[in-house]
Amino acid sequence: MTESSSAPGVRVRDLTVVYKTPAGELPALAGVSLTLAPGTITGLVGESGSGKSTLAFSLLNAVQPPGRRSAGSVEIDGIGDVSQLAGDDLRRVRGRQVGYVFQAAQNSLNPLKTIGKQLLDLGRSHEVADLPALVRDARALLGRMGLDGGRVLDSYQHELSGGMRQRVGIMLALVLNAHLVVLDEPTTALDMITQATILRIVQEVHRERGLTTLIVTHDMGVAAEVTDSIAVMYGGRVVEHGPTTAVLGSPRHPYTQGLIRAIPRLSGDIAEARALPGRPPTLGTMPAQGCVFRERCPERREICDSVDPAPVAVGDRRVACHAVEPAPASARVRKECA
Amino acid sequence: MKTVVRRLAGHLARGAAMIWVVTTISFVIIRTIPGDPVRAQYEKLIEQGMAPDQAERATAALYGFLPKGSLWDQYVGYLNGLIHLDLGQSLSTPGTPVATLIGSAAKWTILPVLGGTLLSFLLGVTLGVYAAIKRSGRLGDALAISGSLLHGVPQYVIGLLVMAVFTTLWPILPAGGPVDIMYDPGFNAPYIVSLVEHATLPVLTYALAGYGGWILAMKSSVATVLGDDFILAAELRGLRRGILFRYLARNAILPLFTILALSLGMLFGGAIFIETIFNYPGLGLLLVNSIGARDYALMGGTFLVITVAVVVANIAADLLYAVIDPRVRTGGAA
Repeated sequence: MTESSSAPGVRVRDLTVVYKTPAGELPALAGVSLTLAPGTITGLVGESGSGKSTLAFSLLNAVQPPGRRSAGSVEIDGIGDVSQLAGDDLRRVRGRQVGYVFQAAQNSLNPLKTIGKQLLDLGRSHEVADLPALVRDARALLGRMGLDGGRVLDSYQHELSGGMRQRVGIMLALVLNAHLVVLDEPTTALDMITQATILRIVQEVHRERGLTTLIVTHDMGVAAEVTDSIAVMYGGRVVEHGPTTAVLGSPRHPYTQGLIRAIPRLSGDIAEARALPGRPPTLGTMPAQGCVFRERCPERREICDSVDPAPVAVGDRRVACHAVEPAPASARVRKECA
Repeated sequence: MKTVVRRLAGHLARGAAMIWVVTTISFVIIRTIPGDPVRAQYEKLIEQGMAPDQAERATAALYGFLPKGSLWDQYVGYLNGLIHLDLGQSLSTPGTPVATLIGSAAKWTILPVLGGTLLSFLLGVTLGVYAAIKRSGRLGDALAISGSLLHGVPQYVIGLLVMAVFTTLWPILPAGGPVDIMYDPGFNAPYIVSLVEHATLPVLTYALAGYGGWILAMKSSVATVLGDDFILAAELRGLRRGILFRYLARNAILPLFTILALSLGMLFGGAIFIETIFNYPGLGLLLVNSIGARDYALMGGTFLVITVAVVVANIAADLLYAVIDPRVRTGGAA
């Protein structure tokens, strides 16, 4: 078995994914650029429909029809441009080099086969010669996550709790030594205790194995707890991306500021939590030009109606907002980046 | 293992109860049919000059229960006969026990029904998978339309069409009967060839009549499973196509097994049209003839056999389900 033991970096460039609708092809991702530094945990946050899952799927070139990638690239160290892969080449990357963990509540396991048999299916699909060793690895991984590996491998999905299934999902994503792991809402629909356990496991396994991890979540708390950096998505764009402490401590984009203000605190008046006015755009209501956030933005100005702000470097982060940087400067920075 | 035994015992108890209900209903119906055929027979024999006790014995032999005494006594006598597998004697073929008639008819029903249903099941399920996977293509459309069309055409129309095509327009197969009488029954080539030739059209009709339902059911089942997360998850784990296909097919076929077992049971009765068209001496034809001849003992016996077939098929379906679906297996143990 050949392994790349170092965490890969990921560079998403100008990625545009469109969905075919009766009203024509509408963009779910509009020229998204995002860099995952090797060995870091990046949180991808945003409301439902902001394009988080589409972006996550893009890392495996797995955007589901009627969606398709219309422009841009997804470069992963050691693999190349994933968006150019197809057929067996793509299949071999999935599972082996990029692990994907599904939401816990939704069933990501075949209900008719034991976990062990599904593990063997995974091994055979990726031409693992030493299947007993694979089983040993799986058992060790499950043990590492606090489960009785032997018992879990003999179980069917319906015999496991949500938290156990989620750990099985993480095991299946890692057992072939993938070093890039994408977790799609890994703790949604789990109770608070299990959620904390899973997050701790994700963090520990991430550190021990030297992974590059992307966590998709709509929960700012989850993002705050485990991530090194946070990318905030809105309307198919990454509007702010930077170190977690910086983004949460002093958000620059008005949307990020609104998101953080909307979180109710345990200590303090519930009235202090203020919901963002309005609702996020859907594919159909996305404005054709200008900033997609302007309808809900307290800092709206004239230029927002006509020019879509490009992400610009502000200190150690990138923000896409006219209120943060004047327009001419943003145009210049975009040129430098390209 | 213990679960299976307990399951089976429960099923048998429920099945017995169901059979009892049906026999009771058919007993009551036969007794309350205008003219009371049992009493009519009894009185007819007396009119013919038979002594009352002799007439009573003759009638009792025919129906398996006494026409005299209270309804309850007769009912008990009837059930007692059933327990000893005594279904009484046929009216239309005097002197022949109903059980013998049913036994010889059953073999002409079981094999063609089994063959035809399994054929249509295999065909429909296989093509249903393709219809679902290629549902946005022309092949998928064509398959789905063929399913809808055949599903919509009644069995007897298909039977008549098949008959017209293969015995008149293109006469390559015999039109009716179970076998040519010129061959000696037994294990010899001409007899077996003749059997197969005669069975071909009924089997084909069963297969065509069932095919539409299977392809439509399988198509929708596959489409549902295709949308399940675990299929996408398996794809994102890079599983091979063959393995993915097995995940898909096994999960999709699950609900169809129940329908398969049930339809096998139902077909024992539903063979009426097809057996009549092809003059095939199975249970369906026997039932039709017994109704025509007002042969109540035979009717009751045939109903009973059809009931037993449905009940047995039900039990088989459930046990089979437990074998192929682990969720049901452990569900019983809880």
